[in-house]
Amino acid sequence: MMNIALIGNPNTGKTSLFNNITGSYEYVGNWSGVTVEKKVGIFKNGKGQLIDLPGVYTLNPLSKDEGVVTNFFLSESFEKLLNILDASQLRRNLHLTLQLLEYGAPVTIGLNMLDVARSRGIEIDIDKLAALLGVSVAPVVARSGKGVKDLAEMVTDEIACPGKANLVYYGKAVEDGVLELGKMLNGRTNQPVRWLALQLFEGNPFVRSYLESYLSAEQLNSLVISVSEAQNRQTGKEQALDQVIHRKRSEAIDKIVNAVAAKSDDKKVPLTEKVDMIVTNKFLGIPIFLLLMYVMFMLTFDWLGFPLSDALDAFLSGPVTAGITAALSAAGASSFIEDLVLDGIVAGVGGVLVFVPQIFILFFFISLLEDSGYMARVALVMDRLMESVGLNGKAFIPMMIGFGCNVPGIMAARTIETPKERLMTILLTPLMSCSARLPVYALFVGAFFLGNKALVVLSLYVLGVVAALILAKVFSKTLLKGETSVFVIELPPYRLPQARALWRSTWDKGKGFIKKAGTFIFAGSVLIWLLSYAGPEGVNVSMDESYLASLGSIFAPLFAPIGFGTWQASASLFTGFLAKESIISTMNIIYFVPDEATLQGLMASHYTPLAAYSFMVFILLYIPCLATTATIYKETASKRWTAFSILYALAIAYILSLVIYQGGRLLGLS
Amino acid sequence: MLGKLKTGEKGRIMNIAGADQFVRRRLLDFGIAEGSEVCVKCILPFGGPVMVESCGQCIGIRRKEALRIEVERV
Repeated sequence: MMNIALIGNPNTGKTSLFNNITGSYEYVGNWSGVTVEKKVGIFKNGKGQLIDLPGVYTLNPLSKDEGVVTNFFLSESFEKLLNILDASQLRRNLHLTLQLLEYGAPVTIGLNMLDVARSRGIEIDIDKLAALLGVSVAPVVARSGKGVKDLAEMVTDEIACPGKANLVYYGKAVEDGVLELGKMLNGRTNQPVRWLALQLFEGNPFVRSYLESYLSAEQLNSLVISVSEAQNRQTGKEQALDQVIHRKRSEAIDKIVNAVAAKSDDKKVPLTEKVDMIVTNKFLGIPIFLLLMYVMFMLTFDWLGFPLSDALDAFLSGPVTAGITAALSAAGASSFIEDLVLDGIVAGVGGVLVFVPQIFILFFFISLLEDSGYMARVALVMDRLMESVGLNGKAFIPMMIGFGCNVPGIMAARTIETPKERLMTILLTPLMSCSARLPVYALFVGAFFLGNKALVVLSLYVLGVVAALILAKVFSKTLLKGETSVFVIELPPYRLPQARALWRSTWDKGKGFIKKAGTFIFAGSVLIWLLSYAGPEGVNVSMDESYLASLGSIFAPLFAPIGFGTWQASASLFTGFLAKESIISTMNIIYFVPDEATLQGLMASHYTPLAAYSFMVFILLYIPCLATTATIYKETASKRWTAFSILYALAIAYILSLVIYQGGRLLGLS
Repeated sequence: MLGKLKTGEKGRIMNIAGADQFVRRRLLDFGIAEGSEVCVKCILPFGGPVMVESCGQCIGIRRKEALRIEVERV
């Protein structure tokens, strides 16, 4: 099947186009060596597959994320490129396009956001653009899907031509350098020499290391230096090669844009700027952000999520359990099987599934923030605060995503350009309270803090953030000193999110939770139930004499000073390492209850409200779950940092719970 | 200096060489270089970043970087 790569600047509607052009994902995985998400989809017309590349401004990478694209060009095979352009930012977008043309693969261009351009008074002559570049250009509206079908046909059917590779003349010195590199390589590589040379002169580190497999570093150095000297001699000016190349491209682009774009002066103040005057306002910026967070939490826990979860709980513990019981007895199942299914699987898996509505609401809001363009504003508004602890505003985005799930949060840290800040963000994102921790809170606040559920939960989220910020300060002063922090961020125009895209990204995030319930939690529940069913004395023992109880009792004394020295608590903390939500399934099994409501009633006799809060704080911080730990290891490629991320979390969780529990008791709380 | 402009004021970039190399490269990616016209849209409090508009796109950079970019008011 034909492989077509989708490439474009960030925020040009690449993801929308991908979603509209392909029916479903053929494959979602990671790029080799790095955990940047790699998405491959089949064209709706079935004639090829589309590979989604990370958004880049140029093929000369600054962050690891961007390096993926350069590596793709150097080491993977593909037949065509689909380049999406933002018509309202044609100049900037064409820098990438020119590099693609220099690469020489067949390119088809999708011209997006013509409406935005029009509202700025820019009209673009599409045919002229196509003629000047020598490739096919089709207008699309990526968000609504208008024109996408024609574009797809164009990409898959037409015999695409490689376009004009020599649109830019870079001056004698550079062009001579291109020829010189060609001589040195002498046909040993099948990559386009002109493209390799220009990227090398621009300082592209990936291309340089690729070339080092054919030529020595000294040969390359002397070539670059001689070109640079020749350039300075010929122009009589001291200028870095990358700037020379960039300027030449800009000049060529100016000519193209002047020929194809007509600008009129009837532009209005875009809505985006009006919105920005409010949300990034000096005084209102942070309060508005906090207010949005508050509404999000109230909806998730109180106004909408709670009643929905309650209804689902009633459904699962009522009709579903009754149905399964009837089916089991009709099938003549033994009492062992019946116990395993009802007390183990239904209690364990059902106890987690109950929280699906709340988790989807949370994911919906995170998708909404991402899709609308507000996330970048959050980074801007938060930068001052983050700078004071040695991070930059962009680190806030992985943390926000971490509220949904720590794993994609840690991956999102790839967009942070400086290694030190990226490492800190990876280490601290697990302190963000992910959605899997939410069932635990929901259970406990339902039992102990009925009056102010959302506020108590919010306090835990805030605690996680505050702990992360304080630790960031500590880490940047001790372990990770040096390296200046930088921050440049693009603020894309606001876009009204589209229902379908929003649902798709909510579902993409939320389905993992359901999948986990069917696999990890299922297996865990069976195991826990078996451990609670059997004991040193034999099978079907009372819970207090089970293996689970003896296992839990070993560690229970450790947790006594922080308020929950029962074997039940320590047993559930163990399973929490597999996945945080298994804490709930374990408790359901241990306390042997059919539904959440009864469990909450029972909790009251095992925990005081203070101990319950201390327990929640401990759950919030104590350890990244298995999947998160694996991701930290993959991202940092360091056993030391992975171990560190577990150990510091344990320490900070214990200390904070101790302070809260003992401090609370001193203050007379219970 | 760009960092000295007030909200709503416009300027043309004269010299960008004083800014951090990384910041310069990113600005170049956005098409912002010597000669570009910029307009300060918003300045965040407590020495926070500035939001700058240029050719219809908005970017955020830190105040201390903005203070190293020479502009002339227009």
